[in-house]
Amino acid sequence: MPKRFLWLIILFTAFFIMGINTGDLIYLLNLGNTICLACIGVG
Amino acid sequence: MPRLRWLIQTLVAFGTNAYLLFPFGGSVIYQGPLKAVCHPGLNCYSCPGALLSCPVGAMQNFMAGLRFSTGGLPQAGVLVIGYLGFIGSVVGRLTCGWMCPFGFIQDLIYKIPTRKFSLWAPLRWVKYAVMVVMVVAMPIFLVDNSGLGHPWFCKLICPAGTLEGAMPLLLLKPSLWGTVGLYFWNKLTLLILILIAAILISRFFCRVICPLGAFYSLFSRISLVQLEFVEGNCVECGACTRKCPTGVVPNKEFDSRECIMCLKCVDSCHFRALDFGIRRPPGKPVKVKRATSPL
Repeated sequence: MPKRFLWLIILFTAFFIMGINTGDLIYLLNLGNTICLACIGVG
Repeated sequence: MPRLRWLIQTLVAFGTNAYLLFPFGGSVIYQGPLKAVCHPGLNCYSCPGALLSCPVGAMQNFMAGLRFSTGGLPQAGVLVIGYLGFIGSVVGRLTCGWMCPFGFIQDLIYKIPTRKFSLWAPLRWVKYAVMVVMVVAMPIFLVDNSGLGHPWFCKLICPAGTLEGAMPLLLLKPSLWGTVGLYFWNKLTLLILILIAAILISRFFCRVICPLGAFYSLFSRISLVQLEFVEGNCVECGACTRKCPTGVVPNKEFDSRECIMCLKCVDSCHFRALDFGIRRPPGKPVKVKRATSPL
């Protein structure tokens, strides 16, 4: 298994954990629970 | 292998769009905890059946609201980058070939019998521009009077949003018709053009426009799994090239950024020159397998 892969996994896992701690998870949940008006083409 | 891929594509497409209560007076879209998870492929989160969020839509919304982040670290969507980066590091663009619902739709409509065309190769660079400009730069810098950005890719282009989100929602909620404007008709026209292009050119949207495919392709040469090429077994018959849906020449560029690891080339090679496996560290040769006679 290449070392580069292991470093990438560590890096992206750290990003993921950082995202949880900055409130990204709640933001994502709120976002997903509303109808996306941009997707529909409102405006 | 092709049957297994069709099975997985079908299961993922229907499994991740399995909210069936929308016609029965419940919420018109699913609003449960699974929406905190992004789909690995392109799937509109406003699709009435969608259980998961769209990674491209989520990323744009994070960028659009970046300047409104308060206190501590800014909300820059690192959760989504971490999630997609993890998937990309492990499987690269295999997600495009096996798990993307919009890719699956394109695979299905490409089966419509008609004259087929090949893609003009330089067009494949367009998707990187779409990713940088429409998913990152425009939501950050193109803001309205209140300083809020918009998900411009969703608003101007996304055919998955029009097909899976806008059209079913407009049918289910006729009150929304009063709000649609030029953006909707622009997107509908683009959807029709993209679908026609996908009938004529294999995986047209994935190869030319998809920002998610562009992101995953950054990992094509470093992901854990990869196509393997055993040069000694190749007789250059061209069978793999004829089967490739993304116009790759597998025996020349087996780690191409365009490869979606559908493994059609592996199936088509009777000489076992192509295989699929875990990437080896640099310098460690691919294990040579005995070729079998195609006769």
